[in-house]
Amino acid sequence: MTNLAELLKSPGASLECEDDFDAVNELARGRGWSDGLPVVPPTASRVERMLAYCDRPWNEPVARMAPRYGEATPLRLAANAVMAGCRPEYFPLLVAAVEAMCEEPFNLYGIQATTHLCAPLVIVNGPVAKELDINSGHNAFGPGWQANATIGRAIRLALVNIGGAIPALGDMSTFGAPSKYSYLAAENEEASPWEPLHVERGLPREASAVTVIGAECPHNVNDHESITAEGILTTLAGTLLAAGTNDVYYHAQPLIVMGPEHAKTVASGGMSKADAKRFLHEHAHLPMRRFSKENIERRLRVTWKERLGAAGLDAPVYMVQRPEDILIAVIGGAGKHSAVIRTFGATQAVTRALKLRDGKYAKSVADFRKK
Amino acid sequence: MCELRKRGLVTAVIVSEPFLKLGKTQARVFGVPELPLLLIPHPLGGLSLEQVEGRAGHAIPQVLQLIKEHAA
Repeated sequence: MTNLAELLKSPGASLECEDDFDAVNELARGRGWSDGLPVVPPTASRVERMLAYCDRPWNEPVARMAPRYGEATPLRLAANAVMAGCRPEYFPLLVAAVEAMCEEPFNLYGIQATTHLCAPLVIVNGPVAKELDINSGHNAFGPGWQANATIGRAIRLALVNIGGAIPALGDMSTFGAPSKYSYLAAENEEASPWEPLHVERGLPREASAVTVIGAECPHNVNDHESITAEGILTTLAGTLLAAGTNDVYYHAQPLIVMGPEHAKTVASGGMSKADAKRFLHEHAHLPMRRFSKENIERRLRVTWKERLGAAGLDAPVYMVQRPEDILIAVIGGAGKHSAVIRTFGATQAVTRALKLRDGKYAKSVADFRKK
Repeated sequence: MCELRKRGLVTAVIVSEPFLKLGKTQARVFGVPELPLLLIPHPLGGLSLEQVEGRAGHAIPQVLQLIKEHAA
């Protein structure tokens, strides 16, 4: 068992501050430990309560977070979780999300330091989503739910305080995005006609998991009229079209967030997720002439040399390179809407199961509590 | 680049002004705070080929100076 009092004695692990909300916030802002909003003072007792849901040594890094490559120890993550307003039972999910986004294919360095406006989006699957009351329905990407708001915020604070994503220093985003405050939702598995995202990505249904995506904000897809799979998917494919997206230059994995009503229409025609992906891939392309002359010559003909190097201006430029690159999750409440979420491009989604230290899938966050 | 620098090769990173602080921080993170950063005018994207040559014109004398210093 780790002793917090001992850990806090090591240099830089803690500091004294007046026991006053405003004084703590003044100190945090002054040191740049902030997303701009007030934080909950990370006192030793609050941090210790957070760490009650951690089954590994509190000072052993679970990952190193780019671009500063700061060590994400449970202790540091817990301080950020407290600051963000997390309940202690949220902590295992925060650890899993941080581990996932520090895996090589995610390219956290690129996502943190780029001039693009992406942020890590976390989709939660499995029984833990319900246990923690993570919103997957109406306004799932919006405010109003403690778990969505504070776990997402804890991730951002860790990205800033441990990873060094400080605007104009480690985060070079030209203008950022509101999703950089918090960006987390659960899949609405009950309303989905298909297998959930984590099952599609190789995990058992009873596992709980996070999938991280280096994503833009959702772009709405309104279709109140279509009553067939082809109709809904045609509208979705049409919304994927964009000459200014990063995705067109990479083997990117955009996320299609299908509203439950749209998903039902698509599935009722007998379409599987794989069928829908094939349709979307096949129909989401622009003729090359829709791109600027400079982008054609300097980017498209170079990046996709084999296919577009000598092609005419009517050649199709695919928004997604392969059907299987498209991610689909069913999220949201009632309404004839879906959303397209484009990405940073130079990033791959990473799915990570909530596992205990012995490698077993966690059935509940209570499994992480120290015995 | 930092690994090459550690092996004693002539090494530098070319940066435009808004990225200077990021470059310095990264050099420090990777253990070579003395890594030379060659400054060129911003931006580097959205330039005509002539303008790209102009940027190279800014960088080349700095590269030559670096090589001379290394040889000395």
